[in-house]
Amino acid sequence: MIVAGCDVGALTAKAVVMENGEISGFEMIESRAKAVRSATDVMDKLLRKLDLSYDDIHYCVGTGYGRSIVPFADDNVSEISCHGRGAKWAVPTIRTIIDGGGQDCKAIRVDDNGFVKDFRMNTKCAAGTGRSLELMAESLGVEVSQLGPLSLEASDPVVLQEPCCVLTEVEIRHLVFEGRDSADIAAGINDITARRILHLVRNLGVKKDIGITGGIAKNIGVVSCLERALKTTLVQFPVDPQIIGAVGAALFAADKARKLRSLA
Amino acid sequence: MGIVSAKAAIIQNSDILAFEILPYKNHPKEAAVDVMDKALAEVGLSREQIDRCLSTGFGKKAVPYADGVIPDMICLHRAVRELNPKIRTVIDVGGHSFAAFNIDDNGKISASAITDKCAAGTGKFIEVMAKALEMPVEELSRASLGSNNPVPITNQCVIFAESEVISHINDGYDPFDIFAGTASAVAAKIVGLVKRIDVNEEVAMVGGVAKNSIVVRDVEKKLGLKFASLGADPQVLGALGAALIAKDERESASQSGTQRLVG
Repeated sequence: MIVAGCDVGALTAKAVVMENGEISGFEMIESRAKAVRSATDVMDKLLRKLDLSYDDIHYCVGTGYGRSIVPFADDNVSEISCHGRGAKWAVPTIRTIIDGGGQDCKAIRVDDNGFVKDFRMNTKCAAGTGRSLELMAESLGVEVSQLGPLSLEASDPVVLQEPCCVLTEVEIRHLVFEGRDSADIAAGINDITARRILHLVRNLGVKKDIGITGGIAKNIGVVSCLERALKTTLVQFPVDPQIIGAVGAALFAADKARKLRSLA
Repeated sequence: MGIVSAKAAIIQNSDILAFEILPYKNHPKEAAVDVMDKALAEVGLSREQIDRCLSTGFGKKAVPYADGVIPDMICLHRAVRELNPKIRTVIDVGGHSFAAFNIDDNGKISASAITDKCAAGTGKFIEVMAKALEMPVEELSRASLGSNNPVPITNQCVIFAESEVISHINDGYDPFDIFAGTASAVAAKIVGLVKRIDVNEEVAMVGGVAKNSIVVRDVEKKLGLKFASLGADPQVLGALGAALIAKDERESASQSGTQRLVG
């Protein structure tokens, strides 16, 4: 039985196809403002790659920021539940999931059965999100994907003061102008991002094992700042951490498909 | 030296000879030199002919030719006292920060409120929304004055509000209605700050955002008053204040017969 999950985030759209509890394939594209187009584009791309058609998908669940407008989805589930479900499926010992998304950052607690028990989320300020990392990378003049590797070369990391990532742009431009090393600034950017995330995690309560999903999970600098502060190693997901939400959605889709089949 | 624009004012006695505003991005030192050279060229002076120069604002330390530095609020206070002694409340909204202060009957600063933790309610907020609407701020401000159905913008954070604006654009709302909503949100944030101190009349609004007609209108409406006129470009008041203080120092130094250095 083939099912799918589609996670339409604020910055990227992700699609996953699963068959009998295994991932058949996944795709990811930039989404931005066009949620419906992004959902269709990413799923089209994945289905082409897997040589499947929409008719082959028994059930599809949408999730993420644009979950209610995924045109081909049979149902939608909140991204908090999907990240919880997907992370627990990937690493059964996980209890705390940090979802570092494009425009939001969440700390999610799951119980032994993978049900979401509690969560914390940024609602008022975008500091600590993927978009803030992008803006700061732009101010530094590097690609957002470079922030992690670059920060590893830092010898004297800067300490950014501004709590607001929009105001931080100015602080970074001035540091660049003063001739500070890019690696040191990159390390400062990762550090301030990790501090914002930690604020949410500590508010929720730290319970091991801990893992980070979403685009920010791919920034090795932020990950190592978090590991240092939490005094633990974050779990290694066997799949791309950015598709965990879509995997969770596909798992919910499989439940629904099974239920429908048993009713038939 | 603001965060996004450099301003220079040249005065003789207390009369403004020239002023210049230069938006800049990455190189505060160059911007400081360029803006002063432009102002000097306007009146045919050279830098050597300036008796004393003080710098202020976020990038005050980046002004290579300044004889000293002075805090922003002190400069604004000095300029406002010079231009209109009846002012009791000053609201300063710049590119990335805003502040408000009271002046008592003796002309002293009696209370102040500053916010520099969040870009909501600043010029940057307006600029990002205008960029999303793909139109210049000036054009949007003018055209949105006629909007009858402002679209409410509920997010305070620039980044969240940007996506809110983009969704409104995709939903087919009129760009001027969206901008009118943006202006109203900025005005509400400014009024929230001002109310931390007393709003005593007469009130003046200064800084770059004071040139934005729709934001000014909305702040006036929410406060239930009209801003007093200052008779000078509201964006150069910091630079003007710094020039006036430079003049004051020069005068008191020549009176006492000694050179006093500040900074």
